[in-house]
Amino acid sequence: MSILATRSVVRLAAFVALLPALSGAQRTKAPNTQRAECRVRPTDAWVKRQAEFFDESKHEWTNDSLRAALLAAAGISAPLAVPVNIGVELVGRQPVLGSNAAAMSDELKRLAGVRGSTWPTKSVVGAAGTHAVYLLALSDTALGRAALHRMMEAGPAESPAVDVAAFEDHMRLVWGRKQIYGTQFRVDDKGRVVLAPMEDSAHADLRREDAGLPPFKVGICLSASLPSKP
Amino acid sequence: MKVRICAFVLGVMSAAIAPARGQSGSANAATKRVSFAAESPGREPKSFAPMVGSWVISRDAGRNVLFIDGRVWKRGQPAGGLADKARELYGARNEEFIESIKAFAYYPIAVYKGLDNFENGEISVRFQMVGGTLDRCAGILFNVKPNGDYLTVRFNGTEDNLVLWTFNNGVRKFVKRAAETVPLEMGTWHTIKISVHGTALQGFLDGKPLLDYTLPEAVSGKIGVWSKTDSMIEFDDFTVMPTAK
Repeated sequence: MSILATRSVVRLAAFVALLPALSGAQRTKAPNTQRAECRVRPTDAWVKRQAEFFDESKHEWTNDSLRAALLAAAGISAPLAVPVNIGVELVGRQPVLGSNAAAMSDELKRLAGVRGSTWPTKSVVGAAGTHAVYLLALSDTALGRAALHRMMEAGPAESPAVDVAAFEDHMRLVWGRKQIYGTQFRVDDKGRVVLAPMEDSAHADLRREDAGLPPFKVGICLSASLPSKP
Repeated sequence: MKVRICAFVLGVMSAAIAPARGQSGSANAATKRVSFAAESPGREPKSFAPMVGSWVISRDAGRNVLFIDGRVWKRGQPAGGLADKARELYGARNEEFIESIKAFAYYPIAVYKGLDNFENGEISVRFQMVGGTLDRCAGILFNVKPNGDYLTVRFNGTEDNLVLWTFNNGVRKFVKRAAETVPLEMGTWHTIKISVHGTALQGFLDGKPLLDYTLPEAVSGKIGVWSKTDSMIEFDDFTVMPTAK
């Protein structure tokens, strides 16, 4: 199941249990459908922020052909359903990409290696195009470091903060460090979905709010809907 | 134009910050250590003059700290305190200034009020990184000149390194990076320190010397704390130990 498909399932399961905020590799519990605190509402600040970034009604990008190629490579089509990224990823699970994904990843690596090259940011390929870059980079560790650097460098107006945050967590785990936003989950040896190692959970909500992610306790709650296999 | 306004404002503000009574910058002056314990959370610090960025006293783990909140920068809004200062400086033209300020809201700085001129000795500050997507920068500001030029030694948690930068006429230039990278955990306290002896500059992280550089001229000017873009950093225990040249 692709990440996007899984996210849709998660969104459909609108009532999810509110679980205590966890730190470290703690177990996530089964959803309690009676609690409304974990609902994903269009009026939530983080959802509105994503809606604002991913609003493409004004067609404010310059490179249609690159955008089309990126979307095809990432296996997505615009407009994207909001929230685009709920910040709940299972370590090791790869998005289902398009047939030209490898070639596009190579092209992105080439671009990243050329100083001063135009990176596909929002003004170049639109918000959906930047999300496609994120999905491609998730699947290619060699592209990851350069892509993360370019995405961070571009700033919040040009790169989706939520994707940058989730991607930084992803790359930190790849590099053997702990995540800092709490977006990465793994399956433990008992088959339970648990939060991957994290540092400074005390300030997690400060960072998550800034990145346009749901509150930490909501993220933990939503993780209960993840499959127990990558 | 914006750069010139930035330098001018920094210079004027720098000159306007008088040292606290009895705290001259002369050699052999006593060690000064800034505690925020008696300050009011949510307000600007009394011991520092926030000139760029949103610097407020914040409470963390039962302790008052100085917090640079880069989220304000990200939204492109100048801090309220800066708007007031702009009004004082520019009167009816303050809106023009506020528009210009966005250009240098990139590097938040707060100048220490307790020492007019630092030339020789040590400056240290404890910090913990709590957020920032673009940057997680904590730095010591020194050699702040009336024209707005300054130096900073900073740690950036997105790069894991300690670097010396110069700012001259509003232009930032890289000078020297510590050879060793040091990954620090978010939400943990660390200490950055500089030692100045004549033109010899050393930078330390958690007591470890990581940076050595010979400056083209001796240091002389105001000091303070520095950050960058959307960094969210807590500072505490700002300490300056001036020594004789």
